Amino acid sequence: MRSIFRNFPLRTLLPATAALLLGGCELLEFSPNDHRSSDEQQDLTAKNLARLAQTPLPAGDTLRFVFTGDSQRFYDEAEDLVKSVNQQAGIQFMLIAGDISDFGFGREMRWVDDHLRKLKIPYLTVIGNHDSVGNGRKAYEKIFGPLNYSFIYADTKFILTDTNGREYNFDGKIPNMPWVNQELRDTSTRRHVIISHIPPQDEDFDPAVREAYVTALRNDPRLAFEMNGHRHDFSIGEPFNDGVTYINSYGFEKRQYLIVTVWGDKQFRLKKVTF
Amino acid sequence: MVQRLLLAALAAAPLAAVAGPGGPTSSPDTTGAAPTPGLTQTTARSADGLPWYRPRHAVVQTGGGLGMVAAGVGYSLRDRLDLDILVGYVPKKYAGSTLSLASAKLLYSPWTLPVGEKWSVKPLSVGVYFSYTHGTLNDEEPNQYSRGYYWFSTDTRVGPLLGSRLSYALPPTTTGRKRNLSGYYELGTNDLYLISYVQNTKGLSPADILTLSLGVKVDF
Repeated sequence: MRSIFRNFPLRTLLPATAALLLGGCELLEFSPNDHRSSDEQQDLTAKNLARLAQTPLPAGDTLRFVFTGDSQRFYDEAEDLVKSVNQQAGIQFMLIAGDISDFGFGREMRWVDDHLRKLKIPYLTVIGNHDSVGNGRKAYEKIFGPLNYSFIYADTKFILTDTNGREYNFDGKIPNMPWVNQELRDTSTRRHVIISHIPPQDEDFDPAVREAYVTALRNDPRLAFEMNGHRHDFSIGEPFNDGVTYINSYGFEKRQYLIVTVWGDKQFRLKKVTF
Repeated sequence: MVQRLLLAALAAAPLAAVAGPGGPTSSPDTTGAAPTPGLTQTTARSADGLPWYRPRHAVVQTGGGLGMVAAGVGYSLRDRLDLDILVGYVPKKYAGSTLSLASAKLLYSPWTLPVGEKWSVKPLSVGVYFSYTHGTLNDEEPNQYSRGYYWFSTDTRVGPLLGSRLSYALPPTTTGRKRNLSGYYELGTNDLYLISYVQNTKGLSPADILTLSLGVKVDF
């Protein structure tokens, strides 16, 4: 047997075969909708939250995070964004307001993670309409995690919810208002921040749920502001003239992002960074 | 959904037409006098003595975006051009829903190199494939989107293929037709992966967009 292993072709073929088998899971793709991923590219939301929990904010420090959105098919920009964010000091995490992928494919979500896992800080996502195309929701659940989730950091509850109503053909159930209301009722933190992809004033938000969503936010005394993506450009305002501030993120291709600083009950400051 | 399947079948029809009747029937290997028009119309037999519509080989493969398992039949023209029609299957646990795929592959292999008595290699095959996926979850329903809301199709993919084939000569048929048992690999990608790479040559590498198929082909 030994002589076989000294045989030249086998010695070169064995490592090549081993490499092929290891990477083969993703190379031997069953369908573009195939969402099989390596262990390290599954449950990324839970993994990033565990990482965030390891660096709790010391009392008196200011909550500061990067806000961006719509990474879809902008991989060159993703690389440059990571370099820029890694140079920022005093940032605790990054939020992406949906549309991680363009075609709802798992491979695209992994390509984005290939870049974003080089961030020095954890990043968190919410599902966008492009992530919902075809079998995208299943890929998102496999690679990132739940479509609705919340986490508490720095005395703030961050609520991330699926508002991609058109992707459910406006079935009257998106966003999931019982879940959103239950999250907003939580009084254990000083502040609430709610993040979703489609802004409620957008035509892709289910018109049958708009009033319920906007009213719930208006009636939440802890809500600091509401954040969206989808429009690929920055905006801030009170579209419903009810005292609730809505902030929209830049898309990756705009080569700008926001640094959001939050203090006090609801005070915040936005800084635009160009990369 | 039925309309889409029909559309997919229509789109694949020209491919079948190219490699089907236009293929073996036009083989120049038949010698002697030109057949009478009446004879060609009624029998239309090719050089290997088989009717044009009879598949020449069976195929089973995995990967390449065409199924965990994809199987089908195909035609060959002058041992260089292959048209394979496959039906693929992906279980729910790998894609979120059970998928069935209909696909067509057209491959051109310009060279066949003999290796000893029984073996031969086709070192290069280039081609294209087309696939249609049935069974995706959020598939466009009537009036769900305005026209052109998504510019791409979620179900129909096309892409290039590049591969090699290793063949072993099986005993010929009783009529003397040569038969091979072949193993092949194909590297490919699809239209949407390709456009992702072309627009992001810094942020993606060519290896990122590759898919691999491994398969077996047997002449019958």
